[in-house]
Amino acid sequence: MSELWEVLVRHFPEFRSGFLVTLQLVAVSFAIAIGVGLFVGALRVAPVRWIRWLGGLYVEFFRNVPLLVLLSIAYLGLRRAGIPIGPWVAATASLGLYTAAYVAETVRSGVFAVGKGQIDAGLALGFTYGRVLSQIVIPQAVRSVIPPLGSLIIAMIKNSAIIGAVFALADDLLKEARLIGSATFQYNEVFFWAAIGYLLLTVSVTFAIRAIERRLVVRR
Amino acid sequence: MGYLFDPDNWRWLFSGNNFLFLLRGFWINVQIALVAMVLSLTIGLVLALLRVSTRRLVSKVAGLWVDVWRNLPLIFIILYLFLVMPESWRDAYERWVPGWFPTAFQTPFFLAAVIGLTLYNSAVIAEIMRAGIVSLERGQGEAAAAIGLRHWQAMRLVILPQGLRRMVPATVSQLITLNKDTTLVSIIGIQEVMRHARIVSATSGSPFVGTGVEAPLLQVFLAVGIMFVIVNLTLSRLSRRLELRERRRTGVQVEKVEGLEDQLALQTSLSDER
Repeated sequence: MSELWEVLVRHFPEFRSGFLVTLQLVAVSFAIAIGVGLFVGALRVAPVRWIRWLGGLYVEFFRNVPLLVLLSIAYLGLRRAGIPIGPWVAATASLGLYTAAYVAETVRSGVFAVGKGQIDAGLALGFTYGRVLSQIVIPQAVRSVIPPLGSLIIAMIKNSAIIGAVFALADDLLKEARLIGSATFQYNEVFFWAAIGYLLLTVSVTFAIRAIERRLVVRR
Repeated sequence: MGYLFDPDNWRWLFSGNNFLFLLRGFWINVQIALVAMVLSLTIGLVLALLRVSTRRLVSKVAGLWVDVWRNLPLIFIILYLFLVMPESWRDAYERWVPGWFPTAFQTPFFLAAVIGLTLYNSAVIAEIMRAGIVSLERGQGEAAAAIGLRHWQAMRLVILPQGLRRMVPATVSQLITLNKDTTLVSIIGIQEVMRHARIVSATSGSPFVGTGVEAPLLQVFLAVGIMFVIVNLTLSRLSRRLELRERRRTGVQVEKVEGLEDQLALQTSLSDER
């Protein structure tokens, strides 16, 4: 038992920096995912068929392709093609664009939950499509979108561990754990604390979303 | 864009055995996915049943187990198993493994890969199935009890057939995630499609070991990605068809579930607290 604590105390700086890098990776990727996801989601509900199709193409590709393939394309493929892309950009862009497909689907289902009748009513009143979305649909859709976005953040935290495990893209929590482990051979103790780190992140997001949802939810 | 679609950069696909080699790698992924799927579905069902057990202690312990494994990164679990697997397990596996298993399955690290995939996915699937079971109206269980069925009889004859059917879309989207996640086992050195892709790219340009046609990494990985897209799209279309047929047959409006990992489980766990 004392060994367990010893490992934490002795290697706390590494654990902390890995934890923070994981947090940063998730934060940046999430910003990308929200930005791109909202845009693609808007394409998915556009009134023009071929624009909808374009959004669908994005979603079906990025949702069905393994994240590891995206990382390989971004980091190995583009570099070999002569595009000097940095490890951080490759990592966050891959994770961000991958998750954006799921965000887009969430947005779409949120918009559909509001109902087509309201969109039609807004258009009939002479609003432009953009104003219908921004003033009628989105304020209502946000509520139904919060819980699935929470589970996307959780999935993102878990997926971010792939980044440190391949191509040494970032020194995140898993990477640091491997480094400490290979230096001390105390893999059980080191991975125990790393697991605590990941559980801290995922479980706290679960509780945060629960709290937010309790406030936002409309009981019908 | 020019580089991406330049036919010269795609000629590798049709030269020599490149395409076949990639496909063969992909087949390994499919096989790993199938093994993990069968194990995860079986163990997931057992965990879900333990989770809804009427004994408090059993359901708490199962709940803790499920929550821990589904909240850890899969790659974390696989790497951990890979790093700490005892020598004796590896030897035992190597002695046990039948010769007709695919070569990629013969390495002892295959054990770490499959155990990792199963630990994680059985936990996620257990949570999905539990959500399906508790989403049924309470009246169903009460009616079953009223006609004299015991707990397990009610479960087997009334609750599970309805509850699991509701969860087919969510389960399929988790199986798609599992399918994608098989690429992670390349990190612990199992020769599957990601490894085959690097090999194709590294050797194809050489006039000695390859065909002399350059295979740029970007295009090779894109081809791998498209393989996954084709299989996963087929899988989700199939489940959608199944769902529609089921709806027509039973006349029950099945709640549509978007392909979001954990989403439904989360929502249901929220709603049963209220």
